[in-house]
Amino acid sequence: MEILLAILTVFTQPQLLILVAVGTFAGIYIGAIPGLSVTMAVSILISFTFSWDVLPAISLMVGIYMGGVYGGSRTAILLNIPGAPSAIATAMDGYPMAQKGEAGQAIGVTTVMSFFGGLIGIQVLALAAPLVSEFALTFQPRDYMLLAALGILLVGSLSTGSLVKGIFAGALGIAIGSVGRDPLTFTERFTFDFKLMEGGISFIAVMIGMFGVSEALQQLQNVNMKSVRQKIDRIVPSFGTIKKYLPLSLQTSSIGVIIGALPGTGGDIAALMAYDHAKRVTKNPKVPFGQGAMEGLVAPETANNAAVGGAFIPMMTLGIPGDAVTAIMIGALFIHGLNPGPMLMIDQPDMFWFIVGALLTANFFMLLFGLTGIKTFTKIVEMPRSIIIPLILLLSIVGAYAVNTSITDVYWMLGFGIFGYFMRHYGYPLGPVILGVILSRLLDDNWRRAIISEREDLGRFFEGIFTSPLSLVLFVSVILIFVSQTPIWTALKRRIFGRETS
Amino acid sequence: MDPEFRGDLDHHDGTSDALPGGYVEKRRPGELGFAIFLTLASLGLLYSAYGISGFEALSSPGSVPMATTSVMLISALVVAWRTAKLPKVAGETLSKDILPVMFIIFLGFLILFGVLLKPLGFLPTSALFLVAAIKLLSRKSWAYSLTVAFLSLFVIWLVFRIVFTVLLPAGIVPEAEFIQFFRNLLSGKG
Repeated sequence: MEILLAILTVFTQPQLLILVAVGTFAGIYIGAIPGLSVTMAVSILISFTFSWDVLPAISLMVGIYMGGVYGGSRTAILLNIPGAPSAIATAMDGYPMAQKGEAGQAIGVTTVMSFFGGLIGIQVLALAAPLVSEFALTFQPRDYMLLAALGILLVGSLSTGSLVKGIFAGALGIAIGSVGRDPLTFTERFTFDFKLMEGGISFIAVMIGMFGVSEALQQLQNVNMKSVRQKIDRIVPSFGTIKKYLPLSLQTSSIGVIIGALPGTGGDIAALMAYDHAKRVTKNPKVPFGQGAMEGLVAPETANNAAVGGAFIPMMTLGIPGDAVTAIMIGALFIHGLNPGPMLMIDQPDMFWFIVGALLTANFFMLLFGLTGIKTFTKIVEMPRSIIIPLILLLSIVGAYAVNTSITDVYWMLGFGIFGYFMRHYGYPLGPVILGVILSRLLDDNWRRAIISEREDLGRFFEGIFTSPLSLVLFVSVILIFVSQTPIWTALKRRIFGRETS
Repeated sequence: MDPEFRGDLDHHDGTSDALPGGYVEKRRPGELGFAIFLTLASLGLLYSAYGISGFEALSSPGSVPMATTSVMLISALVVAWRTAKLPKVAGETLSKDILPVMFIIFLGFLILFGVLLKPLGFLPTSALFLVAAIKLLSRKSWAYSLTVAFLSLFVIWLVFRIVFTVLLPAGIVPEAEFIQFFRNLLSGKG
């Protein structure tokens, strides 16, 4: 009963309900406008909701997250430009459908399937998180340390890019996170004797730089991209259509939740994996994949929205982010004085159930806004990039300045923006950097706690790992990821992730 | 649709972690330089990390920084080594694909923005930036750029100053007095 009340908190305060609605609505548009990603929006927003109470701030961010993951599909279908990374797979079959004049149907199915996937993700979150957090209480410091390392490594190993670059990015993030005075001994680390650096580098500056400025700078090359307008007909799909794809959507939702729940990997990777799964299991698609197969829409869209709920599981129970957006949300909770992890679930279970409620509400709003207002939508989305890019840059600067009212943060932000620009061009993933920054403290603290409790003895430390099943599993996973750098694994990976159209 | 589409007309610029930029089998202009820069920077950071507490104890404040910077150095070395062996991408140049003129101009804009923000204040700096940036990117008339810039600045200011109550450097514009004036006006009416 108490749980139900906490879930319904959103409805008891009209202000929160409105914020979720506004967030979802804004999220759909942010996700839909190419060049504006959810990660970017949430990282800029965190600095603006800084002075708010925690519940309104979370309501808005949850709405934006949910709406944004869905919104990217709209432009993927209509313009062949994925509005958000999680919609890259959607464009492969969505745009061919639009070309055939089936844009309305494509959007309708996408919306309902996103809702369905979202619902499953939230259900799994509600069921699994309390269990995981209870289990998490038995975790040793070394387990946290291993989990953090695993989270940082997973991004690099599950994406199509180079893992070594991912490892570099993650280590860089940890190093950035350790700048300043060490909280335990007050020793200066990486400050180079600058007074300025003693407080450390604001992680918000890093985030906004990497996801806001670098993205905007990169978009400078696509300023004059022209879009083709599509005709949109009936949107609401028939019940028969939905029923037909239900089995597939259940499978892809599960993929989404699992990928989302793995520390570090989010909707973009989930969508691509689900798309590949759909291609493998659909023996005789009515329309071939890549030419407007409905299955190619259902799979990524259920998966990326299911990943939202999944991503909250490690975030709420372990304090380890499920993807870049939840990494930023952890930052937001820190700012508001909350410490995500098993203790949060025990001390303030209301907070968890509130988030579940907000996610659920956002999911319903997504369905509502998704099936209506399509005409105004096409107009807003065609907002020229020559206006959007300067606005993103402006908001990034304001955002970086706002948190600490410090001009130094603005310079850090610009620095990381430029650095991130090069990282993007040369194939270094940005997610591990943010994860590293957020997890740096956790990793450092738990390593020192673990090794002190073993009286500084590495032998005893490893003995501890090998005698605990959980630590052993985590340790082996970390090792496996490193081993995966061998050529055999690369061949295997190409077979699993190879997205060649047959 | 091209399955290798990266959301940026296949320019291999990296749209997300799922599809990072660059080429797997080739090296972009400047990529090797970047990798060498990262290697040297990692080396410098490792030296700095060693300086924190040396090999004093496993739990010393410098142990994790030393471990991470070693990982950085090793991975950067591997990346540099692999990159050096790859053939160059045909048809891409540093000035055209990585550092186009527009990028450099905007870099200048951003640095200027940072320098002017404090002394000039948020509103004038942003107005200058928006007008210049929109004019440059849209290549439309001054009237268009000015209208769009001021309209959007007004909306942003309204949203962030009033709704989010974000403190922004006032600079030369008497912003607070301005808001107070309107508050008085409204309360006078009501």
